[in-house]
Amino acid sequence: MRRRSSLPVTFLVPTLAILLVLSMVPTLYAIVIALQNRELSAPGYTWVWFSNFADLFVDRRFLNAVWVSVKWEIVTVVATMVVAIGLGVLMFEVAAPRLRNIYCLLFIIPVLLPRVSAAFVWKFAYHPLYGIATYPYRLITGGLIFDPLSKASTALFAVASVDVWQWGLFFAVIVLKLLETLPPQPIEAARLDHAKRWQIHAYVTLPMLKAPLISLMFVKMIESLRSFDLIYVMTRGGPGVATETLDMYAFSQGFIESGKVSYASAMAVLMMIATVITFTFLWKRVQA
Amino acid sequence: MRPYPIRPGRLIAKAILALAGFLAVFPLVWTALNALKNNVDIITRVPRLVFTPTLANISYILGRDSVLTGLYNSVVACGSAVLIGVALGLPAAYAVARYPNRFAGDIQFFVLSLRFLPPVAVAIPLMVIWLQVGLYDTLPALIVTYSLLTISVIMWLAIPAFQGVPKEVEEAAFVDGYGAYPVFWRIALPVAARSLAGAIAFSFVLVWNEFLIALMLSSSNAKTLPIVASELSQQGMNVPWGILNASVVLLSLPPLLFLGVLSGFLNSVFRQKKT
Repeated sequence: MRRRSSLPVTFLVPTLAILLVLSMVPTLYAIVIALQNRELSAPGYTWVWFSNFADLFVDRRFLNAVWVSVKWEIVTVVATMVVAIGLGVLMFEVAAPRLRNIYCLLFIIPVLLPRVSAAFVWKFAYHPLYGIATYPYRLITGGLIFDPLSKASTALFAVASVDVWQWGLFFAVIVLKLLETLPPQPIEAARLDHAKRWQIHAYVTLPMLKAPLISLMFVKMIESLRSFDLIYVMTRGGPGVATETLDMYAFSQGFIESGKVSYASAMAVLMMIATVITFTFLWKRVQA
Repeated sequence: MRPYPIRPGRLIAKAILALAGFLAVFPLVWTALNALKNNVDIITRVPRLVFTPTLANISYILGRDSVLTGLYNSVVACGSAVLIGVALGLPAAYAVARYPNRFAGDIQFFVLSLRFLPPVAVAIPLMVIWLQVGLYDTLPALIVTYSLLTISVIMWLAIPAFQGVPKEVEEAAFVDGYGAYPVFWRIALPVAARSLAGAIAFSFVLVWNEFLIALMLSSSNAKTLPIVASELSQQGMNVPWGILNASVVLLSLPPLLFLGVLSGFLNSVFRQKKT
């Protein structure tokens, strides 16, 4: 039996207090800044209340950034899950245990890389003249130029491919481990009923893994919010504003172009409200 | 299980897997090769596999003051933040895991919700705050900011690790007259050590790879390695590609050192689930 002890208090209270201070101070301060008109170049400021927010809703570049962010979120989450489930099931079906271990190690490598490194690796690879990834295209077409990062129609997908390269392969390993934890009996039973391989997975194993797969998708949705490094290195939001997500636009408003810190902060506050509400709601659904 | 005859479907599946494995590492290998090339061997329309290797890029990188400062800043900032995360996160995780109270669920959700905060939303106000107190562009500012990340991540991952320690072991220690604190130090920590190492390694990789906050909180003195590497590229084609590739390799090596620890961590998480 555990006696009453001071341990939970001494272990928990300082940590939670520090976490609260470290998270609430910037959060509340972000709201304060958003209600002012601070600029990096000028020290003075006045309170402008909600005019930054009012400006945002008629700022077409902001509305574009919202749309790009939503596209980014959908493309990366869906593609990551498709790649992860596809490769996970394939490993489960055809790879012997030793080969599985090798694949697992290989598939974890990309996600460990700093996003900046991953972005550089692929920026070189996508170079239209000297890139290794565009080489097959040059070879087949006899030297035609394909520049995925500077075409508005392909840039977002080219950057997203790097995200999927990192997370899709990593999640494939997790899907495999999840499949390995399943009891073998239902799979055997389906086999005796002459179910095809893909049918077993579509109707037996994946439905059994519904809850962990949804959690996995939830994690990816959160991680996809952190697209800044990739986009900053690979396209800087370009060509034009084709890959300008919200954090990229907030950064360029606050730091590169005009130093409008308050305006950028207003954007960040809207993002914060949207993500906290969405993810709190989703988390409660996942837990229920 | 009955054996299956060789079928084209299986061959295609194996080919897809092999291709995926190749795609996982080849871009990195190619980057490492480019780090060993002279510029003439990189700027070619047909990729060159055979070339005369050079160490010039790597020695150039390691001789640059900016790179060495970045490396030093990264090591100090990430190392300190991880130590703070361990010192504060592990005890708190143990308390949540072993002394459940009615707030346990809320605490876990609070810790997770810190991950929902968009990095820009944290970085902009912090920049203004650090400017006002005169700590902008210093390592302490970066360490405090990163501690928020490391504490919450270590706590989040350590809770299941402590829950995985068999209760009977701890109960036996209590019967032997150990107090609550010695049970944590001498029993729970050593037994959970392997999973905890994974959690700590993960938090290190996370802050080592962090970019946006470091970019916003430093202007010259406190730049971390990712920032320095990204700046090299902004000089465009004036910087030989080999040097850029070498800096990418240097930046990527530390996280890859943890590959073994982290894949072991992954395995132990799922083994726990199975039993």
